Amino acid sequence: MTILTRGVIKSFYILMPLAIIMAFLWAPSAAVLGDFSRIIYFHVPLAWVSVLAFLVSGVLSVAYLMDKKKRYRWLDEKSYNSASIGLAFAILTVITGSLWAKLTWGSFWNWDPRETSVVLILLIYIAYFSLRSGLSGNEQRGVIGSSYLILAMIMLPFFVFLAPRIYDSLHPATIINADKRIYLDGRMRMTLLVSVLAFSSLYAYIFHLMNRMLSVKKATEDLHAGD
Amino acid sequence: MGEEILRNLRKDFLVEFRSRFALNVSIAFAVIATVSLSLTAGGTPFSPLVQSILLWIIIFFSAMNGLSHIFVREEDQATSLFLRITVSVDSVFISKFLYNQIFMMIIIAVVTPLFLFFLQIHVALICYFICTAIAGGMAIASCTTIVAAMVAKAGGRGSLFSILSFPLLLPVLWVSISSTRGALDGSSPAEDASLVFLLAFSGFISAISFLLFRFVWIEE
Repeated sequence: MTILTRGVIKSFYILMPLAIIMAFLWAPSAAVLGDFSRIIYFHVPLAWVSVLAFLVSGVLSVAYLMDKKKRYRWLDEKSYNSASIGLAFAILTVITGSLWAKLTWGSFWNWDPRETSVVLILLIYIAYFSLRSGLSGNEQRGVIGSSYLILAMIMLPFFVFLAPRIYDSLHPATIINADKRIYLDGRMRMTLLVSVLAFSSLYAYIFHLMNRMLSVKKATEDLHAGD
Repeated sequence: MGEEILRNLRKDFLVEFRSRFALNVSIAFAVIATVSLSLTAGGTPFSPLVQSILLWIIIFFSAMNGLSHIFVREEDQATSLFLRITVSVDSVFISKFLYNQIFMMIIIAVVTPLFLFFLQIHVALICYFICTAIAGGMAIASCTTIVAAMVAKAGGRGSLFSILSFPLLLPVLWVSISSTRGALDGSSPAEDASLVFLLAFSGFISAISFLLFRFVWIEE
């Protein structure tokens, strides 16, 4: 493990408590929404990390298909791990988003384009897990699963960037918007940034743990095969 | 390569028309769904939005009944190995892709007039409606070709094909439904980008599928 990787993983121990303290004690509450608005420091980073995890799974799948000599081990399993984390974070995004929607818009679910997009992304990745299960014991499981993950990855921009901007949304203007301005107070912006970094390091931490578990599992399998 | 594609396409049609299984199932589903809908509705007038949703649901599930058959049949009849040895990967993909496009156009040609007839629907912009149906059908066939190849490797489980295809096709259905509603009530503007989106989606997904197919098809 490189020093950089170790640094990113260890930074979780500092960044996460810092993000929680900043979110609840340092950042001011929003003018109209009050303290409800503090959920932004968890909802937005969760959504960001889920997209990041799905992108990583797609990129690893491309690497797996390109790696003809199999120089890198278990890339398909690692992309599966990343997709699993992405799915878990996407579910948490939906839960935190629903709570926020109830507090601000009055109902848990409104079929807003952004809400709809997240559900569709969830459906795509649930379908991927069904495909993996269907290919259990099949030698081509890695190749076919990776191919589907690449298809899923190329659909992501439509759901994440295009659909919420084409159709009218209840969500406020996004950070990447037409005016090229961030509509957030300086301290709120800083807290959000720290929170995004904290959740990204959490993703790196979980991903690293899952990959280590995978290595142990494979080593045990090899040992049993040797016996 | 062109000859190879035509030969393979001809073979697929000959095999299909020998049994007509996929075509019969898809068209039978479309007819039964449309007639049942008309019968149970009992002449109730639906809004253009509901009509569009119903039309695309019927088209989607009719397609799901037949489009995976092109690859599942090769695996069931154990001819895929022979095909892998004798025909190049690109030719297999292009011929199967063309077959699915033609198959989808047949389904659209059967479902759409039946739907309009039984539900007594008046179409305000007939050309736009036809273009939407064709572009939507092309997008469905483009996306499902590679998924069919994957499902065939997973043992050709019928429900798996729908589960894998549905979320990938939702943008297509979403746009097709809103575009069809525009064609039915005449509200679609002349510069509507829906058709462009559907054609661009078809092109994009076909290109990616073409690149991915060799990994799915060739067993190492």
